[in-house]
Amino acid sequence: MTPQNILLIPKIERGIVIDHIPAGLGIPVMALIGRWPELEDAVITLGLNYKSTRMGRKDMIKLQAEPLPPRLLQMLALVCAGVTIKRIDRFEVVEKVVVQVPELFDNLARCINPNCITNAEPHVATRFKRLESGSKHFKCAHCERVCSLDELAGHLKA
Amino acid sequence: MKKDLISIDDLGLEQILDYLDLAARVEALPNAEKAGLLPGKILATLFFEPSTRTRLSFESAMCRLGGRVIGFSESANSSTAKGESFSDTIRTVEQYADVIAVRHPKEGTARLAAEIAGIPILNAGDGANQHPTQTLLDLYTLRKFFGKVDGLKIALVGDLKYSRTIHSLCRALLAFDGVAMTLVSPESLRLPGYLTKAAAGTTATFRESESLADALRDSDVVYMTRIQKERFPDLVEYEKVKDCYRLEAKMLEGAPARLKVLHPLPRLNEISPDVDATQHAGYFEQARNGVIMRQALILDLLDKRNDI
Ligand SMILES: [Zn+2]
Repeated sequence: MTPQNILLIPKIERGIVIDHIPAGLGIPVMALIGRWPELEDAVITLGLNYKSTRMGRKDMIKLQAEPLPPRLLQMLALVCAGVTIKRIDRFEVVEKVVVQVPELFDNLARCINPNCITNAEPHVATRFKRLESGSKHFKCAHCERVCSLDELAGHLKA
Repeated sequence: MKKDLISIDDLGLEQILDYLDLAARVEALPNAEKAGLLPGKILATLFFEPSTRTRLSFESAMCRLGGRVIGFSESANSSTAKGESFSDTIRTVEQYADVIAVRHPKEGTARLAAEIAGIPILNAGDGANQHPTQTLLDLYTLRKFFGKVDGLKIALVGDLKYSRTIHSLCRALLAFDGVAMTLVSPESLRLPGYLTKAAAGTTATFRESESLADALRDSDVVYMTRIQKERFPDLVEYEKVKDCYRLEAKMLEGAPARLKVLHPLPRLNEISPDVDATQHAGYFEQARNGVIMRQALILDLLDKRNDI
């Protein structure tokens, strides 16, 4: 982290840092975090448009809370795979994980096909399976429509 | 574990060939023996949209195996009016039957039914997605006429853009060896690019042809489909092309003797009735094969294949 960035983002003693969020996705990710009542009381710092040698510009979120709910982590994999999750204890990074695109999204998104039965019967759990390893495309297990990661990210379930 | 048939994409070549073999064994059985195979078994045909031909084919298949049939066929509007969820209908009907054939205007319904029900589900068509029994009966028909599917020269004619039957058949044919497909369609109803791209890395080939007459000269099979008026935004365009894709007996005069004409039926104008009397008409036999293939599938799903 550049010395300039250290000045701009206060260090936290304990909690979670979501780093390397592509610039512009910081606010959508904040909105996502806002869905979890258990994170309601957490102190959160949102930073936008930091300089990054790797990404050019990036967003970053620091939460003084832990751990992240598992479903939130799964949704992050859908919305912004590639982000780094760091666990902080006594101002030190004690664990660091890069969020990967999984092979299966289990009931996280609605199907983009309006004529898919899962949209008519929303209690049905959706499943989207990766076409092949490395692909950014997923197939609805029900209607077999192929959806891109971006399309699914735009159709997150409640 | 219970078996279902939901999507042709779930089947590998080996399983497809196995179903073709099973159908051949079913066909070879004497009627009297067939009629004793499924006493006391019930097939439920749940048709949430009408498709008389497919429903009757399933029902005939079951009746001729000595089983019984219950079911319904809804008009396009009444199923939603009733208000019961699809899931509830499946959960209820599985109490009444041993196997369910389901057709529904929404995609993904057959897969959902298979997840919910403890009894086997046969997909009889889910919206624009899959109709696997049609594909299997088409492959069975090809093998019956020619003794094999590998290496056949097949012309696909008409609406190649929207025809679920064509898409599904195409995908299945890619798994065989060296099938040569000639695509004959109006400009606006061409085969989707993802299908021609899927041929890369397989031994199948595609070529496009403007002319039906040209395709007739050098094919083993001509697979005709309906060209539907409502697919054309411009009716002038429809009037221009509709007769180019109509097959008449006199066009078949120079065709090779082996040539067979297939069609999923019902036909409208795309095959003239005078073709019926020629040696090339294969579509009614194709319909007959539908019953045989569905019998094979019902027997397999009910774990009765070893009884024949
Ligand atoms: Zn779907």
